[in-house]
Amino acid sequence: MAESTDHVTCQEVVELVTEYFDGALTADEAEVFEQHLNFCEGCEWYVDQMRTTVSTVGHIPEEKVPPEMRDRLMAAFRDWRQS
Amino acid sequence: MQEDAGTAAGAADEEAEVLARVRAGDERALASLVESYHPAMLGVARTYVKSRDVAEEVVQEAWLGVLKGLDRFERRSSLKTWILRILVNTAKTRGGREARSVPFSSLAPADEHEPAVDPERFRPPAGAFASHWSAYPSDWGAQPEEGLLGRETVDVVKRAVEALPASQRAVIAMRDIAGCTAQEVCDVVDVSAGNQRVLLHRARSTVRAALERHLDG
Repeated sequence: MAESTDHVTCQEVVELVTEYFDGALTADEAEVFEQHLNFCEGCEWYVDQMRTTVSTVGHIPEEKVPPEMRDRLMAAFRDWRQS
Repeated sequence: MQEDAGTAAGAADEEAEVLARVRAGDERALASLVESYHPAMLGVARTYVKSRDVAEEVVQEAWLGVLKGLDRFERRSSLKTWILRILVNTAKTRGGREARSVPFSSLAPADEHEPAVDPERFRPPAGAFASHWSAYPSDWGAQPEEGLLGRETVDVVKRAVEALPASQRAVIAMRDIAGCTAQEVCDVVDVSAGNQRVLLHRARSTVRAALERHLDG
């Protein structure tokens, strides 16, 4: 966090976004962070871009399980069930 | 996001149900479990072994370990954490033989400062508007929805994730693809809370920059 606790710069904000999303900032720090966003459109958009990034990563098509692996696991599962 | 506590109870219920179905021998329940954990497992496995082929073998071996241990699993951790831990142990054994491993704990990300955004985009740290944007990032809220979630955009993001260093890729796969909590990541890959966050922050910042190049041109 910044040296002073009542002010953050834009360059500091971009380094705090992940902590902010995770709720890892203290209440005071989060307050200062949010105050900054209220007055800085650039950072508001930046934080929004990071949110969009996180949700887009969540939309990456899931890797398909190779069919051979799936077959082998299901066979092992049937064995396990019978044991 | 700050939703871990709210969804944790629901996730636990869902997990208990899936677990009961798998234990009762429901193949579809197991198949959906295998599908849903695959990206995270592959991502984690690849931080310990060289090739994708070997990583897939590790994932398969880990599932066999899961089946073996299923009756003894007592839910002292979440099912997801337990499965991913088995994976890590399998991968470490294999990684030792493969002579490549990226031990998370030996990473000291705090030592080298890698800025999330190119310092050139900010005003100098002294003077009026010190360290403020010299030009604002753009408002993606004004982008059409289909542009943001279109296949081309998702492909850009996918390639950016694949190009990340192994430890960052593993953390972002666990957090943002598999939906693990920060605590689950720490429990699984033996990384401190601080380092977990630094790895995630770097990964997301790099992916955001790739997305920005794509969307803003």
